[in-house]
Amino acid sequence: MSARLRILPCLLISSLWCFIVCGAAAIALDVPPLTGRIVDAGHLLPPDVSASLTAELEAHEARTGNQVVLLTLPSLEGQPLEEFSHRVATTWKLGRKGTDNGVLLLVVPGDRKIRIEVGYGLEGVLTDAVTSRIIRHEIVPRFKAGDFPGGITAGLHAILGTIEGRYQPTERQSPAGAPSSDSLPSMFLIAVVVGALVGVILGGHRLGLGVAGGGALSFLMALSTGLLLALLASVAAVIGILALSAIFRGRHSPGGGFAGGWSEGGFGGGFSGGGSFSGGGGDFGGGGASGDW
Amino acid sequence: MRSSNRTWLTLGFAAVILTISGCGYNTIQGLDEETNQAWSEVLNQYQRRADLIPNLVNVVKGYAAHEKETLEAVTQARSQAAGIKATPELLRDPQAFRKFQAAQGDLSSALSRLMVVVEKYPDLKANENFRDLQSQLEGTENRIAVSRKRYIDKVAEYNKAVRFFPTNLTAKFLLHAEVKPNFTVADERAVAKPPDVKF
Repeated sequence: MSARLRILPCLLISSLWCFIVCGAAAIALDVPPLTGRIVDAGHLLPPDVSASLTAELEAHEARTGNQVVLLTLPSLEGQPLEEFSHRVATTWKLGRKGTDNGVLLLVVPGDRKIRIEVGYGLEGVLTDAVTSRIIRHEIVPRFKAGDFPGGITAGLHAILGTIEGRYQPTERQSPAGAPSSDSLPSMFLIAVVVGALVGVILGGHRLGLGVAGGGALSFLMALSTGLLLALLASVAAVIGILALSAIFRGRHSPGGGFAGGWSEGGFGGGFSGGGSFSGGGGDFGGGGASGDW
Repeated sequence: MRSSNRTWLTLGFAAVILTISGCGYNTIQGLDEETNQAWSEVLNQYQRRADLIPNLVNVVKGYAAHEKETLEAVTQARSQAAGIKATPELLRDPQAFRKFQAAQGDLSSALSRLMVVVEKYPDLKANENFRDLQSQLEGTENRIAVSRKRYIDKVAEYNKAVRFFPTNLTAKFLLHAEVKPNFTVADERAVAKPPDVKF
């Protein structure tokens, strides 16, 4: 009998819950659909700037796997900036799952507000202080002068530059940056050695597999030192694998799978390059900074 | 004879396993672990805020030394919040949980009062060091909000499993699991209320 008595409130609560959920969805500002790397719902960018920025963001993702996306919006319709920006970032799931390497730049001209939302995985590089400086030094002065395309371009360049270790936010060095130049050679060497060893092991039966796997591995490992060095590392690793296998087996083999190897392993982000674009399942913990002008 | 015995044993074993998984034993255990994880993240962010405060107070002191009261209030609230041991047991004790929440709430309001006072010092506001700290504090407050929301959602999920039929039977008789305390809206309002500004 008490069970039957309990069912009634349950039903009531669940129907109430339904109302609350529907009501909340109706009140809250909708997250716009992710139509590309640049979602310019606020119409701040001329088409040519938008196209060139899209290309840059695409190239950055191909290099590093990070998904950087811009959203402009005419107004927040009374929503708190941080809450909305977090909602957009987590709905779009920018960045890869597990790596959480997504960044959202949100510009709302109607409320004169800016936010850089940083995924968990990039919080160490794009710290709150650094993102705040990017907003204050790169974006706000240009916005104040009415130059929206310039401010957005400078902001995105600073974000990409910070991640790739090219951008220094005025005065002091950022607290946690990309690997310093001292660690570059050792990173390169480690990548070559590990790639070669794994390649030899993998290539025990099929040399092509070993060459492809080892080359791709050392490319990926050396990626933090830059694209050119990463390519060099994978070439060095492949040479190492071929030489070592030749010593072990006493015979040469045709160098096959190299090209296929790194194009498969190196850029395997799982995101399509052109056309449709979607988030990779990354998560956001509320890192980043806000600003206004 | 022996083989039929074994069949019965296997069937019985399968039945027990199916019943246990069917009545939410694993669900409740899994959710329990997930709420603990979400709670650790909340604590982590509160700790991050506590770690920021000494630096912030020092920088503000350099420019606004005679805002002693406000600065002391922040330091005091910080040590009070740090004084509450945030163990997992806290989650099972609603009263201790409320106390913890209240202490963190006091620290939040002391900090926001400090940030209002700071508005009177243009030199301080122009200081890059201060602005970095301010952005870190804002970021941390935002992370606290996010981790609290995730904890709230997780606890709601857990509490639902503990209350709903038939998983409530497992929770009650097998696990002796109880509903977990959650952050309350009333406190949230008090914390979110902007501090009064007097000139």
